[in-house]
Amino acid sequence: MSGRSFTLATAAAAVAAVAWCTPVLSAGQARVDGPPDIQGFWASQGRRLATYNIEEAADATHVLLSGVQTDAASLVVDPSDGKIPYQPWARAKRTEVFEHHTNLTKWEYVDPHMRCFLSGVPRVFYQGGFQILQPPGYVVILQEFNHGSRIIPLDGRPHVGENVKLWMGDSRGHWEGNTLVVDVTNNNDKTWFDLVGDFHSDALHIRERYTVVDADRINYEATFEDPKVYTRPFTIALTFGRTVRGEQARSYELLEEACHEGEHDTSEVLRQLTDAPK
Amino acid sequence: MGRRLDRVLVAAVVISLAAGPVSGQRRAANPPAYEPPRTADGKPDLQGIWQVLNAAAWDIQDHPARPGVPAGQAVVEGNDVPYQEWAAAKKKENFEKRLTADPITKCYLPGVPRITYIPYPFQIFQTGDVALFIYEYDHAVRTIYMNRPHLAGPIDFWMGVSRGHWDGDTLVVDSIDFNDQTWFDAAGNFHSDALHVVERYTRTGADHIAYDVTIEDPKVFTRPWKMSMTLYRRQDKNAQILDYECNALEEEAAGRLK
Repeated sequence: MSGRSFTLATAAAAVAAVAWCTPVLSAGQARVDGPPDIQGFWASQGRRLATYNIEEAADATHVLLSGVQTDAASLVVDPSDGKIPYQPWARAKRTEVFEHHTNLTKWEYVDPHMRCFLSGVPRVFYQGGFQILQPPGYVVILQEFNHGSRIIPLDGRPHVGENVKLWMGDSRGHWEGNTLVVDVTNNNDKTWFDLVGDFHSDALHIRERYTVVDADRINYEATFEDPKVYTRPFTIALTFGRTVRGEQARSYELLEEACHEGEHDTSEVLRQLTDAPK
Repeated sequence: MGRRLDRVLVAAVVISLAAGPVSGQRRAANPPAYEPPRTADGKPDLQGIWQVLNAAAWDIQDHPARPGVPAGQAVVEGNDVPYQEWAAAKKKENFEKRLTADPITKCYLPGVPRITYIPYPFQIFQTGDVALFIYEYDHAVRTIYMNRPHLAGPIDFWMGVSRGHWDGDTLVVDSIDFNDQTWFDAAGNFHSDALHVVERYTRTGADHIAYDVTIEDPKVFTRPWKMSMTLYRRQDKNAQILDYECNALEEEAAGRLK
């Protein structure tokens, strides 16, 4: 009798111990026949001046300033003319910023990057290199510029409430075969797509598809919908290439880029602008 | 006969009660350490969203309440930050000028370990040879590479460079390559660029991590000193790291951001 209750007690303790020790398994963790391993260091290929102007990767002014020749093609693949389909008021605003980007007379013309604000989506992908990590249940993107980051849960949880606006948006992802599909909402209205003033409102809704072509290449497509600013959705395309491979990747790391801490000119520029409050 | 059976039964009960759990040959003086859930590579799983519940961000030592500042008991062992004489005077000066001299008032990164106990959540991820910490405050990031040597320094980083390894079930994080621009709290406790921080993260239960930090800085202190506190798991079902973009919020308040 006492022997049997000892055995039962032991069995109960063992079951409890196993429950405590069970490793935490999450969606997307299995690598054997699970999603592709895209961890590592990446950068957009062949779009060196996209962060300057996504509609045309170069214009005469920038080539003069930097001496860099580009393929001068828009990131925008739909509509086919490569232009962001702005509503007329928005196109006028964008033109105004473009015309002042080398002669800043108002803070409204100053690139958010110059003020060390976060890049938002998609500029996170063409402002220098980035790193992808795949901890259980997530895809995480780390940007070297301004130590930006995106946390993309894969468990299908709902987005945060619509009044929570986020610089990098609120992302929810899932894998469809070799393609990571990400829905990005809750964007604030404070990021630009580039230096010359391509912009959006806080109604922006982005749908991304990262198609893993092979171990070193991802084709990225993203559709941007914003009924406050555009007449219709538009789509951009980028190719991500792996930048560090093999043995080098095992000793590589992103380094700290403390943008705000190191930026001493912008505050002076802002102070001197004619309409900046004193 | 009946009485002998009784004695045997009593003896059996006494023996089974004394035998202890499972294959317990060992009779520990203390209760066994918490056995944490483990990641796929068998290491303790520290993943989740964590935050402190103390007043260390304002002052790491014993302090009474001040306007806007909750009272707090020291997270510093012995309540003693062992400054060299010149540094003790500098600390006093920092405290007097703290409302403008604290680098956080310029929205600069808080450094280590202040980023841990600034009262905003952070998320820990583990994958491959990386322990990744993403902090809500100023989107600070610490990518802790496991079992790698430090870089050839010295380098002046705000958050230093961190390298990790496991000591049993404790994650040990060794950080150097700091600048001298950050404070340990809002009370003026400071360091030089010789700062060396060793953090220890140990799960003590389903929702708690014991966090211990050793600070070493031969240019400022007479000896190493320690801080200890608990990290609490954010249990809200929809817990998520959001934004606190300090410099943008300041610009907005100044009317220079719509």
